[in-house]
Amino acid sequence: MRQAQPDMNQVLPEVDEGRPDLGIVQPGLERADIAFAVNGAAVSVNVPPLRRLSQVLRDELRLTGTKVGCDAGDCGACTVLVDGDPVCACLMPAASAAGASVTTVEGLANGLLSALQASFLAHGAAQCGICTPALLVAATALLDTTPRPTEIEVQDALGGILCRCTGYRKIIAAVMDASSQVASLDFRLPQSGHAIGASPVRLDGVPKVTGAEKFGGDSFPADALAVLVVRSPHYHAGFAFGDLDGWARKTPGIVGVFTAADIPGKNCFGVIGPFADQPALAEGFARLRGEAVALVAGEREAIFDLDLSDFPIRWTELPHVLQPSEAQAEGAALIHRNRPSNLLTSGFVERGDPEAALAGAAVTVTGAIDTSYVEHAYIEPEAGHAYMDADTLVVVACTQAPYMDRDDTAKVLGLAVDKVRIVPTATGGGFGSKLDVSLQPLIGLVALKTGRPAALAYTRNESMMSTTKRHPAEMKATIGADADGHVTGMIFSGDFNTGAYASWGPTVANRVPVHASGPYATPNYRAEGRAIHTHGPISGAFRGFGVPQATIMQETLYDELAGKLGIDRLDFRVKNCLRNGSETVTGQKLESGVGIAECLEALRPHWARAEADANAFNNANGDKKRGVGVASCWYGCGNTSLPNPSTIRVGIAADGTVILHQGAVDIGQGSNTVIAQICADALGLPLERFRLKSADTAISPDAGKTSASRQTFVTGKAAEKAGRALREKILRFANVSEKATLQLDGAAIVIREGEAARRIDLASLDMDAEGFVFRAEETYDPPTLPLDAKGQGKPYAVYGYGAQIAELEVDLKLGTVKLIKITAAHDVGKAINPLLAEGQIEGGIAQGIGMALMEEYIPGRTENLHDYLIPTIGDVPPIETILVEVPDPEGPFGAKGLGEHVLIPTAPAILNAIRHATGVLVTKVPATPTRIRAGIREKDGIREKEARA
Amino acid sequence: MRDFSYLRATSTDAARQAAALPGAMLLAGGTTLIDLAKCGVAEPDTLVDITHLKGLDRIAVDERGATIGALARMGHVADHADIKSRFPAISEALWQAASAQIRNMATIGGNLMQRTRCPYFRDPANFAACNKRVSGSGCSAIGGVTRGHAVLGTSEACIAMYPGDLATALVAFDATVHLGERKLLVDDFFLLPGTTPDREHAIEPGEMITAIAIPGSAAARRSTYLKIRDRQSYEFAAASAAVGIEFEADGRTIRDLRVALGGVATKPWRVRAVEDALKGKVLEPETVRAASLLAVEGAVDHGANHYKIELAPRVVARAILKLGETA
Repeated sequence: MRQAQPDMNQVLPEVDEGRPDLGIVQPGLERADIAFAVNGAAVSVNVPPLRRLSQVLRDELRLTGTKVGCDAGDCGACTVLVDGDPVCACLMPAASAAGASVTTVEGLANGLLSALQASFLAHGAAQCGICTPALLVAATALLDTTPRPTEIEVQDALGGILCRCTGYRKIIAAVMDASSQVASLDFRLPQSGHAIGASPVRLDGVPKVTGAEKFGGDSFPADALAVLVVRSPHYHAGFAFGDLDGWARKTPGIVGVFTAADIPGKNCFGVIGPFADQPALAEGFARLRGEAVALVAGEREAIFDLDLSDFPIRWTELPHVLQPSEAQAEGAALIHRNRPSNLLTSGFVERGDPEAALAGAAVTVTGAIDTSYVEHAYIEPEAGHAYMDADTLVVVACTQAPYMDRDDTAKVLGLAVDKVRIVPTATGGGFGSKLDVSLQPLIGLVALKTGRPAALAYTRNESMMSTTKRHPAEMKATIGADADGHVTGMIFSGDFNTGAYASWGPTVANRVPVHASGPYATPNYRAEGRAIHTHGPISGAFRGFGVPQATIMQETLYDELAGKLGIDRLDFRVKNCLRNGSETVTGQKLESGVGIAECLEALRPHWARAEADANAFNNANGDKKRGVGVASCWYGCGNTSLPNPSTIRVGIAADGTVILHQGAVDIGQGSNTVIAQICADALGLPLERFRLKSADTAISPDAGKTSASRQTFVTGKAAEKAGRALREKILRFANVSEKATLQLDGAAIVIREGEAARRIDLASLDMDAEGFVFRAEETYDPPTLPLDAKGQGKPYAVYGYGAQIAELEVDLKLGTVKLIKITAAHDVGKAINPLLAEGQIEGGIAQGIGMALMEEYIPGRTENLHDYLIPTIGDVPPIETILVEVPDPEGPFGAKGLGEHVLIPTAPAILNAIRHATGVLVTKVPATPTRIRAGIREKDGIREKEARA
Repeated sequence: MRDFSYLRATSTDAARQAAALPGAMLLAGGTTLIDLAKCGVAEPDTLVDITHLKGLDRIAVDERGATIGALARMGHVADHADIKSRFPAISEALWQAASAQIRNMATIGGNLMQRTRCPYFRDPANFAACNKRVSGSGCSAIGGVTRGHAVLGTSEACIAMYPGDLATALVAFDATVHLGERKLLVDDFFLLPGTTPDREHAIEPGEMITAIAIPGSAAARRSTYLKIRDRQSYEFAAASAAVGIEFEADGRTIRDLRVALGGVATKPWRVRAVEDALKGKVLEPETVRAASLLAVEGAVDHGANHYKIELAPRVVARAILKLGETA
């Protein structure tokens, strides 16, 4: 790359030997001209010398490809090259860049894709895309010196950049293979009728590798007011404001301070209407640390690091409870007056006579497992801006659920729903937490009150403090089997710490009892899940809604049962797994599409090989032992016994473009591509003619929320129906039969049946207001039945299944775990896009690894990405994916959901493998080296005692 | 983080003079200081940028030892061929200390000035009590979440763990820190908390680290840095050990041994007791394991950090035995 010489005439105060003249320095917001080169062009900015380089690049130079994920050097999302070396731009003062040559993602290629960028797309190495620019920048520096790096070299070069979506394996492959990638890219667009099962490069991929993608914080209007949220520093406290107006008047640049008193609508939101309980701004007292109590809006430079130490608020700390047991204790104060015993709600499923079954069982096992708060740790903290478009409030922000955001924002702000428009930006990871509104009503309030655009990007700290977590669980269960090894009964109970507000607590409480049996025939069963309020962080939706926790309980007990019965652990699971015709614990008869046996059978050769490898290793080693574990999952796709329709609109424009209104928010999982693939084959036209209009509540119909593994199934089904309906209309127009084929030829459509062909000039047809000459819109809502008082019914129309093997090595002396390999077999019904399916599996496994081994959110202690550990590129071992396709007649082209299933088996498989290696079951996750050592010590102590006895 | 006044020093003397003024701090790689300023721990009025000073980033290595300028980047030192061959423990410690981006920014001098990761120290907004921040204000960590706190060198005033890796290797090999003319052992540069945990380094106002010097030795040449942590990359040590060894001509008897611990003490922790117990002995696993227990003599836990007392000697033994294997 040619680099221009920067202008070195920057004005910086200097001290030299003779003149340490400190008099020239003014305190505060002193500015300096700082000149450097960016992507080969000379630039000069006038900023405070210590402003972060990341901020200068983003705010002053509008190079928003450089992301900010933590402002602490922990996530690496801001990585840029300074004089060729990767650095964290968030830790570099602008003044330190003076005279340097800076390269950002925007400078990696000039209009074309570099080989590395192309390789990322070809390998599916970018999912949400928020970490992608940093990875590309760091990898470019590596490839400059080492064109064919080893895996270790890639891991070291990229070790400081966190990715929460991909599980890193495709990133490693993309970098290692970059040298063989030509600088152009085959997008692998399939021919008409062959989109299903192909792996085209994701349709929204290119902007993710060029830095052009706009996430929540990337398109703030220049004149937007900056918003600062005042939050509770206490778990539970009353508060009163002093003279807010006076404070605002005397603080330069402040335009307004807003509190609950300013909220025009109902100051109460929540994802599940009947349980809605959360104020947008707390009224009089705060129920959790990090709760929003006031907003300060002002000019950007004034708000930036505004000192709030004299903000007029007086706190009165109140007693708090953080553990469900304390919250349920006799006489405990109620966190919500209408919820006795601090019980939010409970879910219950009962079938047969579990007590009798356990009493009559040949073998029973009992255990208890505790899990921790887990943070979603998407690399993009919540961000967005709001503005008034005439009388409509427009909110442009990252989200998983635009229509739900619209409804809650409208409610809080007292607006009609059609006066709120939600325009989702690209979303830099969600995993469940971006289903709840966060900043939408806050920036909406400022825009509404001031008439000016309002912008806010959460700091990492406030994102971690104030948004939802995975529920910590305290679970107990007993499972019994007969002498033949058939499970006869199970009793499960779980207390889930749901924190201060409801969020998705009810969903967790209800999903858990339905799924706690695992995908196994369990004729006698009782399970209860209880969501209990505390003053802890709000627990909500996180990939699996409580099922990952419950599965740890069940799958670790299954290993114990198999051991007592003397049956191979995999055989035991095959013997008990659900099959076509089985009834579930809710009494739902599964007529077809049950693929768990196929998943387990697909693992059989790997299981035999892995066990043999472990045995051979263990015979030769003393201090290190290998272990192999297996676990399964099942997961119902979509809402539990509740409607959750999706609507898809698709049409053909006069120029021959197929316009697909694809409202299923793509948070990296790939719905933009998968839904289009389904629609293309249902319609019978090639993917390359599709143009997507993505989610926007003013433009695209409601495709529901991106959660519950529902988009491929539910929105996919709507897309299939819409595609078929559109095809039907065209065929009827041409008066031909079902057998006819369609072809787009420029602005004409050619319809062929047998020898006959008819060519219709699209421009000659009437066009509707949206520009369509043909259009169709279809809705699909999965058929479910409510659960009765005993939890019997048909909660889901479609289930997906999977099973994973974990192979690992435990250092018995140090307690450390080294993962060797994960083998994952998942029944996806039909792999619409195998590459994206693999990406989901690898990413889910990485999150499962984190949950199993390292992730433990402690309020007040781990509110950053350094003290809260998520897996790095070195923590994810090779993953072998086996896609199993047992079609479900309800799903589009047989497809089932996948997104959450993939995380569920990982943690129990790892815990089972640790026990296989060490003889110790860790009963509190994460299984840190400390806990593993404690278990080994206890076991050795018992053994010593036995030896002495 | 508020904006501070900023000065760019054009000479070492000017930097020292500027730094001597109240409220002034030196700015090099910025990786620690910018972060601490964000937390509200560091609140300088003036930052004196020394990154552009000439000649302070030199790395010179010969058989007598290595001299490393204070402004040499961690990454450059880690990758330096002679450091790798003559002081493998130094290179390994730096490699494992931080991500590639941080290694490219952070300087050796700045690394020595790195502050503790004690979450109570780093959170003044929520924990007023911290003797390291404000002398006499108390310690929030004692009685708090202590999993990452020190078990060696603690006092009633402070149990904050020293988080660095490089200095652990430096104390093992008798490195000195150069504060201009004044030179002192790295071991003496780091202070025990005692009753004055706010004073971490034996550096005076107006002084500035200019270089570190590490004497060459056979033990340094045959050395390693073993770091145990809860995830693979970019994480502080649960326990770590810098170890160097020299054998007698028989290749089995230990002539010289250097052992220092990281991740478990309030400062880089040289453990001469282990060294003395093993010098002159034949390297045998049982002997090494027994002697390694001396590494945590006098250790005091505060509950959740108890595991470090078991872990540290095992890490020491593992590192010594690993060096023996490469005989």
